[in-house]
Amino acid sequence: MTWWRFLAAAELRKILAFRADFWVTFIGQALVQLLIARALWQSIFAANETGVMNGFTLQTMTLYYLIVPIGQKILTGENVGFLSREIYDGTFSRYLIYPLSFFQYKATTYLTHSAFYGIQLVLIFSVYNLLTGTTGFTTLVPGILLFLVAAFAYMSIAMIVELLALWADNIWSLMVLVRFFCLFFGGGYVPLTFFPETVQRALVYTPFPYLVSLPVRTTMGLAQTHEIVRGSLVLLLWALLFHLGAQLIWTRGQYKYTGVGI
Amino acid sequence: MIAVKGLRKTFTTHVKEPGLAGSFKALFNRQTVTKDALKSIDLEIQQGEIIGLIGANGAGKTTLVKILAGIVHPTAGEATVLGFRPWERNNEYRRQMCLIMGQKAQVWWDLPALDSFLLLKEIYQIDDRLYRENIEFLAETLMVKDQLKTQVRKLSLGERMKVELMAALLHRPRVIFLDEPTIGLDLSAQKAVREFLKKYQQEFRPVTILTSHYMEDIKELCPRIVIMKEGSFVYDGSLTQVQRMLGDEKCLSITTRESTFKVTVPRQDLGARTAEIFSQNDVLDLNIQDPSIEDVIESIMKNGVSV
Repeated sequence: MTWWRFLAAAELRKILAFRADFWVTFIGQALVQLLIARALWQSIFAANETGVMNGFTLQTMTLYYLIVPIGQKILTGENVGFLSREIYDGTFSRYLIYPLSFFQYKATTYLTHSAFYGIQLVLIFSVYNLLTGTTGFTTLVPGILLFLVAAFAYMSIAMIVELLALWADNIWSLMVLVRFFCLFFGGGYVPLTFFPETVQRALVYTPFPYLVSLPVRTTMGLAQTHEIVRGSLVLLLWALLFHLGAQLIWTRGQYKYTGVGI
Repeated sequence: MIAVKGLRKTFTTHVKEPGLAGSFKALFNRQTVTKDALKSIDLEIQQGEIIGLIGANGAGKTTLVKILAGIVHPTAGEATVLGFRPWERNNEYRRQMCLIMGQKAQVWWDLPALDSFLLLKEIYQIDDRLYRENIEFLAETLMVKDQLKTQVRKLSLGERMKVELMAALLHRPRVIFLDEPTIGLDLSAQKAVREFLKKYQQEFRPVTILTSHYMEDIKELCPRIVIMKEGSFVYDGSLTQVQRMLGDEKCLSITTRESTFKVTVPRQDLGARTAEIFSQNDVLDLNIQDPSIEDVIESIMKNGVSV
C-alpha cells in the first residue's frame, strides 16, 4: 500500500477517534444549520406571500440548505488555519523531515476530510430523498465529484493565504476574510440567484460560483449537463492556477521558515 | 559524513517597546534587529561518532541542528551530510536521517503509536522484515511494548519520549539529530533514554549530534564535545581532554561567618592560596575538591577560552 493511502486511513482513524465529537460533526452541525435556515426562509416566503422566490420553492430552498453546510465542510476539508498554525508553532517542520512532498501530504489529509464529509452528504441526501421522494440519486455522483474538485481548488487558495504565515506570523484574520469571500460569493450563505444581475454576471469570471453554487445545484439536479461540464473545466483550471500560486509562494517562503518553537 | 564550512545564519526579528504605547507605535513603525545565530562555523564529524553540542540558551545549537536536518536554510556557507546539502531536502537524504526534538511530538497525538509506526513504515519505505525487527528491538530495549496500543496523548511524558524515539529510529537512520531528548523527564526516564541511546549507538554506529543542557547526557554519551557561545565554537575536542584540564586545578569551598564561596586555584598554588584565605577570613570550614566537568564547561562557556 502506498503512503498516501495509509495517511488517509490514519486521518480517518483520527476523525473517528472521539465519539461525541464525531456525532456532533456528523449530524448535529448540519441539522442545526438546516433548522435555522428552514425557519428563516419559511418566514421570508410567508412574508412575501409567494410560493417561488428567485427560482426556489420552500422545498428546494430547504434542500439547498441541507446540502450547503455539508458542502462547506467538503470544501474546507481540514480546519481553516491548519497550515499557518503549524508554521506558527513549528510543527510544520515534520513535513520538511519526511521524505515526501509536503503538498502531497497536506492534499492527502485535506481531501480525506473532504471525502469523509462527502460520505456524510450521501447519507443525509439519501435519508432526505427516502423521506420526501423529491429528487433522484443520479445527480449525487457528479455533485460530489464537483465538490471534491472544488475542495482541491479551495485548499490551494487556503494554502496561498496560509503560506503567507512564513512572512507574517499571524494571518488568521486574512484567512477568515478569504473564507467569507469564497462562501459569500459562492452562494454559501444566500443562493446566487438572489444577487443583483450585474454581480451574478461578474462572478462568472471568478472561481467563487464554482466552489459552492455549482456543486450544490448539480447535486440538487438544477444544473444543465453543459453547465456542469463547462463548470468542471473552469474549476479545474482555477484549481491548477491556485496550486501553481501556492507552489510559487512556498518556493520563495521556505527561505523564511525558521522553525520557531522547536 | 558531516562537513560544515563557514556556515552562517542570520535571523531578523521584530522588536517592540514595552507597554501599550509601544504596541500602538509598532502598528505603524516596526523595528527589527538582526542577530547572528551562527558566525561562520566549521565542523567535521565521522561515521559512528557521537558529539555533544553544549551552550547556553541562544548559543546557536538548535539553529545548527535545524540547518543540518534541512529545516532551515543557511545565510551563507556550505554543509554536506552523507554527501547531500540538507536544505535541498533530497528524499534520499531524508530517508537516512532523523531529528528528535524533546518538546515536539512527531507521532500522531490522537492515535496509538503503532498506527503512527505503520504510516512511517510506508513513508520511509521500510520493508516488512526490517520493520518487524526494529519494532521488536526498539520496544524491548525501551520497555514500551505494553504502551504501543494506547493513544499517544494518554501516555506519560517519559513513555511519549520513548515512543518518539521509536518513531524516529524505525527506519534505522545513519544520521541522528537529538535536540534535548531528556528535557522534562524524571531521573529514571532520563537514565532509561540514555541507556537506550548508548546501546543503539554501539549496535548501529550512526553519526549523532546531541544537544542537551543535562551534563549527565553529555558525560554518559559523548566522547567528543563542542561548546558554543554566541554563534561560534569555543571548544571542539574530547571530553577526556576537558577532564585532564581538571587535574591542574583544585576547587576550594570556603565557609566563613559571613558567607560561603568557591575559588578555583592552580594545583601548585594550593598551599599559598589556602594560607592567604585563612589569613584574610574567619574561616569556619574549608573543603578542597577537584572541579566538576560542569564547572570547567561553564567556565569555558563564560570566558570563551579556546582549548
